[in-house]
Amino acid sequence: MLMCKDLAEIASDYIDDELTGRQNLSVKMHLMMCRHCRTFIGNLRASTDLLKVHSSGQENEELIRKIDERVAEALGARKSEGGVRE
Amino acid sequence: MSTSVHPEIEASLIDNLRQGDATAYKTAVREYSPGMLAVARFYLDPSSAEEIVQDCWVTVIDAIHKFEGRSGLKTWLHRIVANRCKNRLRTSNREVATDFSETLDPELASRFNSNGRWGVPPKLQFHESADTLMENDALSDCLDKHLSNLPETQRSALMLYEAHQHKSEDVCNILDVSASNLRVLLHRGRQKIFLMVETFQETGEC
Ligand SMILES: [Zn+2]
Repeated sequence: MLMCKDLAEIASDYIDDELTGRQNLSVKMHLMMCRHCRTFIGNLRASTDLLKVHSSGQENEELIRKIDERVAEALGARKSEGGVRE
Repeated sequence: MSTSVHPEIEASLIDNLRQGDATAYKTAVREYSPGMLAVARFYLDPSSAEEIVQDCWVTVIDAIHKFEGRSGLKTWLHRIVANRCKNRLRTSNREVATDFSETLDPELASRFNSNGRWGVPPKLQFHESADTLMENDALSDCLDKHLSNLPETQRSALMLYEAHQHKSEDVCNILDVSASNLRVLLHRGRQKIFLMVETFQETGEC
């Protein structure tokens, strides 16, 4: 029989629908009987969704400012070296 | 996609870059950085990607003298970014040996009894949707922090697969891991995020 720990090991495969039909069925059976594992699967799925939302729409202004700074610094350093490259 | 720069304008821009003209760099940085960042994000988490793009611009100051113009400036810049990212992944692949036989995060594994049942079960349900959760800046920062602490291959797997929604085969190719090892990387990474959100919801702290 599938124990909670076994289920936790294959939880991502369950979420991504990567289990065999038989494994999938035993996970479903377990979930019907086990509240903790239902919470776990729900929360793991939410954590996964979090990543999908998270990386979208970050702003670039700060990055552009940092690049400007570093480029100016590097250009300055090369000028003071008298245009020596590398 | 932004409209591409006119060839003649690009040629004079390149000339000015070669001369180390600060204004030309400002123009180029604004024109090309968003695309470069998108390329870097394909490989890396947000903060590492930004770091790579910054480093690339510093490299460009010297490398622009060797730029022969066979490809467009944009393509050339993207290639520099991609190569840097790949190098970074390669070195980290060597450094971080993920134990692919361990599918459970040690911290999570310790929450089960010897009979395989939950000893310390998940305390509460994440009641809010991902969108609502991410409106919380503190949680968003916390997620960034935890992402940057993950072994680089785990993080890249998560970024490529979840955030950029690349297909498994593509992720396997980029990271040079087998399909089954990718499954382990994803699962390990997700568990870390799960543990992080749980702690955050319970304590309000990262
Ligand atoms: Zn259970």
